[in-house]
Amino acid sequence: MSWQVGLYVAAVFLPLVAFTVQILGIKFLGRLNAYIATGAIAGSFLLSLVGFLAYFGSAEGVFDHHARGGGEAHASAEGEHGGEHASPTKPHKAEPLLWTASVDWVTLGQGLKDVRHPEGLAIPVGVAIDSLAAIMFLMVTFIATLIHIYSMGYMHDDPRYPRFFAYLSLFCFSMLGLVASSSVFMIFMFWELVGVCSYFLIGFWYEDKKNCDAANKAFITNRIGDVGMLMGLGLLWSAFGTFDIHELNSTLRDRAGKLNVVTASKDAQAYDVVRLLDPETDTPLVDDSGRPSQIPYWVLTIAGLGIFAGCAGKSAQFPLHVWLPDAMAGPTPVSALIHAATMVAAGVYLVGRFFPLFTEPALLYIAYTGGITLFVAATIAVVQSDYKKVLAYSTVSQLGFMMLGLGVGGWAAGLFHLITHAFFKALLFLGAGSVYHSVHTYEMPVLGGLFPKMKWTALTMLAATMAISGVPLFSGFYSKDAILASSIHFVFHEGNYQHILLFVLPAVGAAITAFYMFRMWFLVFAGESRSQQAGHGHDTHSHGHDDHGHDHGDPVAHAHESGPMMLWPLFALAVPAIAIGWPMFILPFFGEPILEMMLAYGAPIPLADLGSAHNWAMLASLIIATSGIGLAVLYYLPGYKRFEAAKVAHRFAGINSFLQHKWYFDELYWAVLVRPTLALARGVSRFDKSIVDGVVNTVAGLTVVLSKFEGFFDRFAVDGLVNLTAKIIYVLGDWGRGIQTGKVRNYLMVLACTVLLLFSVVFAWVGRGT
Amino acid sequence: MSDDLLLSLLWSVPMAGSLLVLLIPKQFPGVIKWFSLVVTILLFGLTLVAFTKFLSESPSGDVPAASSLRDRAAANTLTGPVGDAVTVGETGKAVGDLVVRHPWIPYFNIQYYLGLDGISLSLVLLSGLVCMLSCLASFSIEKNVKGYFSLYLLLTSSMMGVFLALDMFLFYVFFEVMLLPMYFLIAIWGGENREYAAIKFLLYTLFGSVFILVAILILFFWPGDSVGSFGGAATWTAHSFDSIAVAQAVSETGYYGRFIQQVVFLLFLTGFLVKLPSFPFHTWLPDAHVQAPTPISMILAGVLLKIGGYGLVRFAWPMAPAGAYDFSYYVAALGVFSILYGALAAMAQTDFKKLVAYSSVSHMGYVTLGMAVMVIAGESDPRYYAYGVNGAMFMMIAHGITSTGMFFLVGVIYDRAHTRDLNKLGGLWNVMPIYGAVSFLIFFGSMGLPGLCGFVAEVFVILAAFNYNPTLAVLAAAAVILTAGYVLWTLQRVFLGRSEEHKGLPDLTTREIIISIPLVVLTILLGVYPSVLLDWMNPSIIEGVVRPVTTARALTAAGKAALTPIKTTAIAPQTAR
Repeated sequence: MSWQVGLYVAAVFLPLVAFTVQILGIKFLGRLNAYIATGAIAGSFLLSLVGFLAYFGSAEGVFDHHARGGGEAHASAEGEHGGEHASPTKPHKAEPLLWTASVDWVTLGQGLKDVRHPEGLAIPVGVAIDSLAAIMFLMVTFIATLIHIYSMGYMHDDPRYPRFFAYLSLFCFSMLGLVASSSVFMIFMFWELVGVCSYFLIGFWYEDKKNCDAANKAFITNRIGDVGMLMGLGLLWSAFGTFDIHELNSTLRDRAGKLNVVTASKDAQAYDVVRLLDPETDTPLVDDSGRPSQIPYWVLTIAGLGIFAGCAGKSAQFPLHVWLPDAMAGPTPVSALIHAATMVAAGVYLVGRFFPLFTEPALLYIAYTGGITLFVAATIAVVQSDYKKVLAYSTVSQLGFMMLGLGVGGWAAGLFHLITHAFFKALLFLGAGSVYHSVHTYEMPVLGGLFPKMKWTALTMLAATMAISGVPLFSGFYSKDAILASSIHFVFHEGNYQHILLFVLPAVGAAITAFYMFRMWFLVFAGESRSQQAGHGHDTHSHGHDDHGHDHGDPVAHAHESGPMMLWPLFALAVPAIAIGWPMFILPFFGEPILEMMLAYGAPIPLADLGSAHNWAMLASLIIATSGIGLAVLYYLPGYKRFEAAKVAHRFAGINSFLQHKWYFDELYWAVLVRPTLALARGVSRFDKSIVDGVVNTVAGLTVVLSKFEGFFDRFAVDGLVNLTAKIIYVLGDWGRGIQTGKVRNYLMVLACTVLLLFSVVFAWVGRGT
Repeated sequence: MSDDLLLSLLWSVPMAGSLLVLLIPKQFPGVIKWFSLVVTILLFGLTLVAFTKFLSESPSGDVPAASSLRDRAAANTLTGPVGDAVTVGETGKAVGDLVVRHPWIPYFNIQYYLGLDGISLSLVLLSGLVCMLSCLASFSIEKNVKGYFSLYLLLTSSMMGVFLALDMFLFYVFFEVMLLPMYFLIAIWGGENREYAAIKFLLYTLFGSVFILVAILILFFWPGDSVGSFGGAATWTAHSFDSIAVAQAVSETGYYGRFIQQVVFLLFLTGFLVKLPSFPFHTWLPDAHVQAPTPISMILAGVLLKIGGYGLVRFAWPMAPAGAYDFSYYVAALGVFSILYGALAAMAQTDFKKLVAYSSVSHMGYVTLGMAVMVIAGESDPRYYAYGVNGAMFMMIAHGITSTGMFFLVGVIYDRAHTRDLNKLGGLWNVMPIYGAVSFLIFFGSMGLPGLCGFVAEVFVILAAFNYNPTLAVLAAAAVILTAGYVLWTLQRVFLGRSEEHKGLPDLTTREIIISIPLVVLTILLGVYPSVLLDWMNPSIIEGVVRPVTTARALTAAGKAALTPIKTTAIAPQTAR
């Protein structure tokens, strides 16, 4: 284990140690928990900062090589894929720097396979740090540290303040473990752990049934995805006996990034199989008996889709996206950390990490899932009146963008967007929390005019809003541009015109995004307060925030800027939200963003040269952002308003109500999945009671009846037979008594007759013999 | 302590305790309780001694854990003519190898024959622990204390005997002895419908045990399909209750043909599925659990169900691998069906205890499935099957811990709120925070959350199932949704929300916390570091189950070629060996 791996292991375990201390000492430590948790995650942040610098300090050729150039790369690789393998004849993919180490968690079945393979089948646990992991680590710990600090302010009055920080620590451990994992099996384990942390934090105010329901829904929806993931794991493991991501990544594809598909046949039926390749020589791997390691193409596709199902669950992709908006029932810092910046991005992260696994049909499926998700969520976000819900749907939508980017082959683009989105979305949520902390309502219709009262919150949120809308010079612009470029490349340059939707959906979706994000900002911060005229009631969350002495009739009137504990994290996040996407030379902002180059360095397959697609994407981005923001101004910015949103809503009442009901997904699932399952459960229970148990009881009852009948039979038949025999003997005896007269001549008479009879019989028999 | 004495003490200490309890005057219930507790603590100590002996070097220089039970049994041979003749005397007894063998009823070749390997030792340890904890949980018993603890210790003794016995007749004796104390414990100290539940339990289990007896007798009396060489020396002539020798004969010779293996397998399977329990023989379980007092429920779920699984691992598969292979698809399907069926039935329950009982049915389905996913060496990689069997065994241990905990926790709340109706509970986490935290952990452990013990078992079985039949595996995997559904829904109905009605209920007492701690620690330890158990259980599973089963002569190509059909030819052909 190199020191770098040790560093990351320490960074993963620091929050776990903190969690253990906090949960065991919760009675004694009390509010100290906050400091323990924050200290631990800050420590992890420092460690991952060191790791990040060390990684990109020792990785060579990060900046002179980039995907668009398609040039030769030099890399020094440590760990299992060590060494250079220059092949003079064809261009090859150099192995990027990888820090890895693993130990066997479980080894079973020693000596069973054959004599040459006495070793058992192991499930290792290990750490693998590539460029993506190093960047993710830094991002997660940075945002998590800020959110810990923010929570000290936000959760200050909560009675379960210590428990909250314990949960946060456990979450940080699980999330960092997930990022650092070297095998997909381990990812699955951490996957569920982050899920359970999310469950506890969504249901943190569990006194409300609504919150518990949301927590259950999140967990169970994720488990549906996990079944798919288990399927993928099982199929891969049966075929290859390993879960190691980098091992599979390097053996599944050749150096040009192609799967090694061969046609095999069985029972006269031809089918495609994918054969594993030796990463050193690009020749098929064979086992000792000379059989190639292979998996049928369709099975690999199914396995990929299975893994993706898990990702779709975690990253809230259609059709498993329904849990994320409900997850906003949790405290807002949780929404920022878990349900916007980090955990929900885990699905995208895994797709990126395990990218070579996905066959072409699987990638296409991923792209379309992303496209549909981003569009559906964006349309729903437009009609939300709750600003946290707007952010929730925008998260779903942005995750769709990332998936689409990955699906069309824009590996670096999708992950680039993951990182930029994490920063600006965390900022948006924390800003929203700051607003809520001040006005105690999420309802936009009663807000407005907060800008003068909460300048800093408003400004930082504006920066994030511009980033997400794709305003040039803000981070989101660069990453969204990269995704659009990838999809233009896929659709137009590679000639996949039938998949034109993969360009149209993100383009339209991005415009809608710009529209609803600015709508939100205008409705909350711009103009005058609407609460007097509207006189709305607002939901009062009963979690200890109510003792601020506010007049609840007018939330805006007493609004005030949040304290420094909550403001400083906003500032700290605003910087990367703006600048994280910048290229090396900012001004003619055409260069390749630094972050994207860092990511592309570790790409598991060679990335395509996008060429002119970037210029078209740039143009499209500008048009999209302008139109979206322009419409928002025309509809919602007081002073510049030209249209009335309410009128449009009225005219398209049908669509409006369709969107208000979130495309009726919840109702559909309730009718098609939940209710039938519950009915089936009741049916099974009834079946168990009446039929299965009924049979048992009937058999028992019949036995009792039978034994009663048998008792009757015994008494009358069996016993009767015995008595009958006795009676017959008695009668016979009685009758025999009559013979015994006691007179000698009678006896002599009988004797004479008998002798006569005997003699005649004997002579008849003997005479026949002669 | 010699291992003869140690193994005998493991069942005779509680037996003696059971008799001694009768000598204590019933005016001193406290004395009876404490005496019983001391006995069970002593017993648990003895199981730990056995455990350390298993892992450490014996005077003869071997580590029991490192050599298979078969080798150790072979070192304890009885001399004299084998077969139906009288056997006497013994030589070559290895000391400290955790096998004991003496003639018992020589006329029928019945031996007093005990032994421990990883499979039985894990369950012996579990039983020792669960019996100790339930004894502590029994302190709240007020009715006829003397009778209760006497029967309780008798039950403990017979359970230990079941896991220790290597002679099938002895096994059967312990198996039957176990039923009587259990019957009375449910019938006297149970709930309102206790007599029905007790008689149902008794008759159902007796019904199952008939199948087991018939199977054992068939193995004993079978005249043989062909003459096979056995161990290269003596010829196998049946007429033995020695489970190790019979299993070896079955897998290595052609003495027991395919047909008779099918019959034996089905008999064993039926008998042990009743005990496990699996659909469709499971309905005694919810009744017994609901009516039994809390500590007896803990024993029932924690140990008694494991006897069914143990029988599958120790008898059904090794004694009839060909039969097991021929029916494996149906058995696997039955396992999957049981998983889904139990989970669905659990979801519909409103009685807390009944819900936990049905969850047991669901979890025991994984045991069936894990055993059933067998393959033949040479056709597929048997290492995957090793994951299946290890998963099944792990499930028994994990379920032994979590279900003991769950029944205990249900008992805790029943003692306080006097109801088990899920719709009447609620908001308990705020009222009883420690109780809530322990419950969440144990229930999540049962649900199969990674990092807790249930996960390891479930995921091993499911992964092994993918190598066997992906369709069944996906169905089994889908059950995790249902499991999450009923567990979360239950937790919500019991612990979350707000409650005025239950305000002021006391949190866990010290005694209850002491009971929870080992369960909580083991739930986490086995989940985080399963090797702590698998490292010493896996070799026994490989040598005792996986290897003999996957390489059984009746199944492998080489074996089949050597074993021409027997009864059709006048002279039984010699096997190739």
